[in-house]
Amino acid sequence: MLEISKLKKIYGSKTVVNIEELQINSGETIGLVGNNGAGKTTLFRMLLDLIRPNTGEILSKGENVAKHSKWKDYTASYLDEGFLIDYLTAEEYFIFIGGLHNFSPAHVMDYLHQYNEFFNDEILSKGKYIRDFSKGNQNKIGIAAALMQSPELLILDEPFANLDPTTQIRLKSLIKNLKQESKMTTLISSHDLNHVTDVCDRIILLEKGLVIKDFLTDENTLKELEEYFSE
Amino acid sequence: MLITFLNHQWKAFWRSKNKGGSIAAQIFIGFILLYLLTVAVLVGLSLEILIEKSFPGKDVFVVFNGFILYYFAVEMIMRLQLQDLPTLSIIPYLHLKIPKQTIVNFLNARALFSAFNILPLFLFIPFCTTAIADVYGSLVALMYVVSIISLTLFNNYTALYIKRLSISNLKVVPIMLASIFTFGLLEYFQVFSIAARPNRTFNVISLHPIAALGFSVIALIVFLINSRYLRNNLYTEELSRNNEKKVSTDYPILGRFGEIGTLVALELKLILRHKRTRSSLIMCVIFVFYGFLFYKKDFLQNDNFAAMLFAAVFMTGSVISIYGQFMFGWQAAHFDGLLVNKIDFRKFIKAKFLLFTIMSTFTTLIISLYGFISWKILAVQFAAYLYNIGIGTIIVLYFATRNYRAIDLTKAATFNFQGVGASQWVLGLPYFLLPYVIFLPFFLADRPYWGLAALGAFGAIALLTREFWVTFLVNQFNKRRYNIAEGFRE
Repeated sequence: MLEISKLKKIYGSKTVVNIEELQINSGETIGLVGNNGAGKTTLFRMLLDLIRPNTGEILSKGENVAKHSKWKDYTASYLDEGFLIDYLTAEEYFIFIGGLHNFSPAHVMDYLHQYNEFFNDEILSKGKYIRDFSKGNQNKIGIAAALMQSPELLILDEPFANLDPTTQIRLKSLIKNLKQESKMTTLISSHDLNHVTDVCDRIILLEKGLVIKDFLTDENTLKELEEYFSE
Repeated sequence: MLITFLNHQWKAFWRSKNKGGSIAAQIFIGFILLYLLTVAVLVGLSLEILIEKSFPGKDVFVVFNGFILYYFAVEMIMRLQLQDLPTLSIIPYLHLKIPKQTIVNFLNARALFSAFNILPLFLFIPFCTTAIADVYGSLVALMYVVSIISLTLFNNYTALYIKRLSISNLKVVPIMLASIFTFGLLEYFQVFSIAARPNRTFNVISLHPIAALGFSVIALIVFLINSRYLRNNLYTEELSRNNEKKVSTDYPILGRFGEIGTLVALELKLILRHKRTRSSLIMCVIFVFYGFLFYKKDFLQNDNFAAMLFAAVFMTGSVISIYGQFMFGWQAAHFDGLLVNKIDFRKFIKAKFLLFTIMSTFTTLIISLYGFISWKILAVQFAAYLYNIGIGTIIVLYFATRNYRAIDLTKAATFNFQGVGASQWVLGLPYFLLPYVIFLPFFLADRPYWGLAALGAFGAIALLTREFWVTFLVNQFNKRRYNIAEGFRE
């Protein structure tokens, strides 16, 4: 699905991301962990062609993301509030995003019904602009808008942050279900080791831009990670 | 405590992240302020002569007294439009061990720091200390000053009070504006002259100077009402935004343009749902009256279109230049979202063209009313219209791809130079000069109509070759989109 080679991003004299070689296979759910400044968000931004790498390239289905834009057809993402159009109502935003994938407004509203539980009655028909929602609810809107595109590749930056416990659990089961139903490839970054090991089947550990560990999850993974981070 | 608060405000002003940015903008603001103050002082000093010249035969003092009232009435309208509520600045203090009264006092003191409160002093006090002191003596002059200061304070706190009330009840401001306009109309048609009344009031001051304290009492009452209201409603939620239910809207006509239409609808909502963009739009509406300044009779008789052309280009393209100069900074907050979503940049650029074309067509239709003055105006405006939708849009969008400054939409609009950078200053040159480059050769050869035709023709050619220009702009955009996105993220 994704091939990263010789990827480097340098700010000033600091190398923020430095990945020699990384393959992500179709259908994998990958957890990206690492402390602040490890380069998780920068890597995501390069995957989404929001910043230009200094060297190296990222191929999505064999096409360089910086040179082609076909990846936009099957990639959905939510990194931060900068992805939301905050002066729209939640419904308008969903309809806008759906419209980009040729969904009719009726189709979008119908589709959103399945997220009623996830939304917990706090998102739809509230008569508020997105900018007036709480951070957690803005998060929900962004994640739901990404899921709605039924992507083949889903990229979420700290999706569990700001969510209440119930919604965190619901989000986990949503991601697990989608993976089984549609073979979606997912990239998630998180500081919550519990959630990451629970949802993901492969963990990539970044530190100062370098891939330190890359392994498949098993029953010992959580312990291993906790040990690493408590050093 | 009050001093500490004001000190914080002072720091907040100077340390704000996006304060003007470029030095050019700072200097420009400085010049404008200096200019306004100088004008105010000069007008103030020469008020006596000005009044004698403009109203010969009338008593200078009667006119002056009337002028005071007009000034404060107009000022009231402007304050309601422009003055900002200093509310948000108190949020960090609300939960601390500070008595409510202190915070209210701070809000009241903070409200005094407004240009509106300085201007009348510069305007009126020179006249009071010279003319009035000479004729009526220094006590009367002093009391005049007292009443002017009181009226300023009265206006200051009344405007704030009305604005605060209007947060919970939107109808207050229109009612207020309507009543002021009604008084103005009554005055204009001489049905009921209020100008005669202040004269009587101020006459009283010259006879019994102490009566001026009456103004002070009214000002004090308004001040107290305002303080009480603040004290009882000291919740930022109630003071700073209204909780009106927001509805989703849809522009079916734009739906016909497919994805491009969707993008235009998105931008229309952006314009209508933010204060800063709305006031830009109001600016455009105000500039519609520009024609009255430039469409002079002798210009029209002599076919002297050179000066008129400037006004025509400016008016037909007001949205293009006023709104367009900050592009794509308006969308800075969600620019990342636009980039990662399935939006074709070609359509993104085309949507801008469509938006400009719609807006420009709309204004051109409105200002076609100038056609009642002379058909020649229509010819000038039509040439300017073609120039704008053909070439002006391309120039503005080209500079948009070089503008890396985000616009902070949450901030108020007036005298807000946030987001102004070099590209705005450079943009004006080609945009306003190019029409003259095309027009002037013909004009100097004494063929003004040919000049207009040439200008229109160039515009039409650019319009017909739009696909080429879209490709050109998309390439420019692609070259710099990382820089744009990075600039907007800061």
